[in-house]
Amino acid sequence: MNAAWIQDPNLLAAALSAGAPLAAFALIMLLTRPHPRLSAGISITAIAVSLAGALFLLARNGSMTAPIQVTGRWLVSGEIHIPFGFLLDPLSLLMLAIVATISFLVQVYSLGYMAGDPGFSRYYGCQSLFAWAMLTLSISPTMIQLYIFWELVGLASYLLIGFWYEKFSASEAGKKAFVMTRLGDIAFFLGLLIVLLQFGNLNILDMNGPEVAERLSPGLITLSAVLIFGGVVGKSAQFPLLTWLPDAMEGPTPVSALLHSATMVAAGVYMFARIFPFFSLSPEAMSLFLAIGTITMLLSSTMAMVTRDIKQVWAYSTISQLGFMVMGLAAGGYAAGVFHLTTHAGFKALLFLCSGVFIHHYETNDMFVIGRRGGRGLLIPMICMSLAAAALSGLPPLSGFFSKEAIMGVLADHPNPIWLAAGLLGAFLTAYYTFRLIFIILRPNAREAAHADGHSTHAGHHGAGLYGLMAAPLIVLAAVTLGLGFFETPLAAFLTRAATRAAGHHAWLLFVAVGLALAGTGLAWLEFGRRGAAQVGFVERVPALRALFAQRWYLDHLYRLLLDRVIYGLFSNLFTRNDRRVIDGAIDGLCKATVGGGRLLAFMQSGMLQYNLMVIFGVLAVVGLGFLFFG
Amino acid sequence: MNSLGTYLFIAAALFVIGVFGLLQRRSLIGMLIAIELMLNGASLNFMAFNRFLGPDPVIGQVYTLFIMGFAAAETAIALSIIIALFRRIRSINIEQARELRG
Repeated sequence: MNAAWIQDPNLLAAALSAGAPLAAFALIMLLTRPHPRLSAGISITAIAVSLAGALFLLARNGSMTAPIQVTGRWLVSGEIHIPFGFLLDPLSLLMLAIVATISFLVQVYSLGYMAGDPGFSRYYGCQSLFAWAMLTLSISPTMIQLYIFWELVGLASYLLIGFWYEKFSASEAGKKAFVMTRLGDIAFFLGLLIVLLQFGNLNILDMNGPEVAERLSPGLITLSAVLIFGGVVGKSAQFPLLTWLPDAMEGPTPVSALLHSATMVAAGVYMFARIFPFFSLSPEAMSLFLAIGTITMLLSSTMAMVTRDIKQVWAYSTISQLGFMVMGLAAGGYAAGVFHLTTHAGFKALLFLCSGVFIHHYETNDMFVIGRRGGRGLLIPMICMSLAAAALSGLPPLSGFFSKEAIMGVLADHPNPIWLAAGLLGAFLTAYYTFRLIFIILRPNAREAAHADGHSTHAGHHGAGLYGLMAAPLIVLAAVTLGLGFFETPLAAFLTRAATRAAGHHAWLLFVAVGLALAGTGLAWLEFGRRGAAQVGFVERVPALRALFAQRWYLDHLYRLLLDRVIYGLFSNLFTRNDRRVIDGAIDGLCKATVGGGRLLAFMQSGMLQYNLMVIFGVLAVVGLGFLFFG
Repeated sequence: MNSLGTYLFIAAALFVIGVFGLLQRRSLIGMLIAIELMLNGASLNFMAFNRFLGPDPVIGQVYTLFIMGFAAAETAIALSIIIALFRRIRSINIEQARELRG
């Protein structure tokens, strides 16, 4: 076994790329916490090793024909075998490369963004933990291993979202993210248990194989698919568990970039793609997923139209793009969904990192303030952000255009036209809110000065070196955003291997989609970008609608209400009563019975020795006489 | 006169007197003396049975000697307990020693 590890370069690379961040995490947390520069160096070296390993694997196995699976036995219980190991197939290799790339860039960027933070070492430790969890999740051969690392990803993101834990809102946001995703994870785990008990096996390759349909009844498949999808809903912030993601903006901006592009939320969609054939066995479940994805996309798009916080806009757009990916996958477009995941990882990381530069420089999240203080003066971030925004809106020739077209094509092939209509509406809204932000920063409006807050001085006079560190990853990601779209065909061929049905190509759709994106951009220009524009969106003119969107469709209020009424009002109350009355009462009763019994029996201990002796002699005499006469 | 019944009767009388004394006396010293009477009653039983029924005349006497040794040791311990009790409650009346009452 040992020899095989070293001789096979695939295994070596996989083990190295998955293991290096773990080693870095352990080193940083145990030894180098007092030395921030050293910690950052270790962490970045480790993620660079992972990146090299991932790219090597991708290059070496570019034309692989069969997945490589290596597992070691980890747990055996009766009929159930749970192995640990690696599964290398096109999807996992692609994901490995995405995760490693984004993590690497984000860590380099963080050198600048987090410079001087007192928790610098801790930050890099958590980053390494995050990278390790996500990389290992990508190459999991079984759903159990995937689930374990899925939870580790949740833990790492909890640590990073609540990184500035002195801030109340940050620790609250971390908790919210943890608890809300946990809701979905419970369903996920129940679904896995159903499959495990009925099928006896959670290997991904087996679950994707044809035996599942033979061994499980269709009803059970639907049930378990819906339950497992609950995990996706939680992790990828789909309706109805979507409100944790905007709050997660409390973490440092590079964390948001990582969270939103390649790791935390992408894990949900990745899992969907991972056991895509299993999900496809249940058309009912797939229709449900399609509906959930659509609702998510439209809801979050509307929320993005009214917020003033630059990061919130990207958070909502992430939710909406994730909904879009789920739509694509649920409509049967495996390659399209995964392709959008890939391109989205690139441009969303770019968007967040650019916003991070603005936030770092002007120390505010308010896009109006950034614009008024001359945000457009920061050339590199401004250009990169505009590029990424165009990609997000699906404008050609950027990467987002290609992947969106792919999903639109899949949706157009779906018999029900309502999904395509919803998708197109989503594309329009996306372009609108994206360019609303861009124009607000590009064309500051003097009237907005009324909203100025206390920060009037330029606090950010940072060294050119830090700025350079932050700008370099931006340029790399911008190049990716520009170029990645042209790899659609080889990527799709790589992913699906066998010749699958090519998604229908609809020329009219291309024009409609781009036309809508342009219309959205135009509307944004009319309202925000035009000289002398009022910078008030059409939504904001209707106060009720604005409040509805700004309050996130009152979802949080609903949850609060549910929490207060049902959880606190009903369950907590009942449990408290149970505690006080039943459990406490039983224990108290036991104590009282013991004490009372003691009191009662104590009357026999009169302390009169001779009476005791008399009883003893009496009994002995009776026993003796008994033996004498009856013995 | 020289029969087993006589000795058994005397031994039983000694024993019952001891029991009565043990139960009736309130003084610890008196109780101790009563215990000695009971022990002597038992010893007399051993001797009598040995004399009239036992084949080997030594065993009963050895038992009796042992009982006397034990009685001496027991008396020493009992007296020391009584002295300790007296130091504590300034009395050797058994009815005063009621601290173990429940």
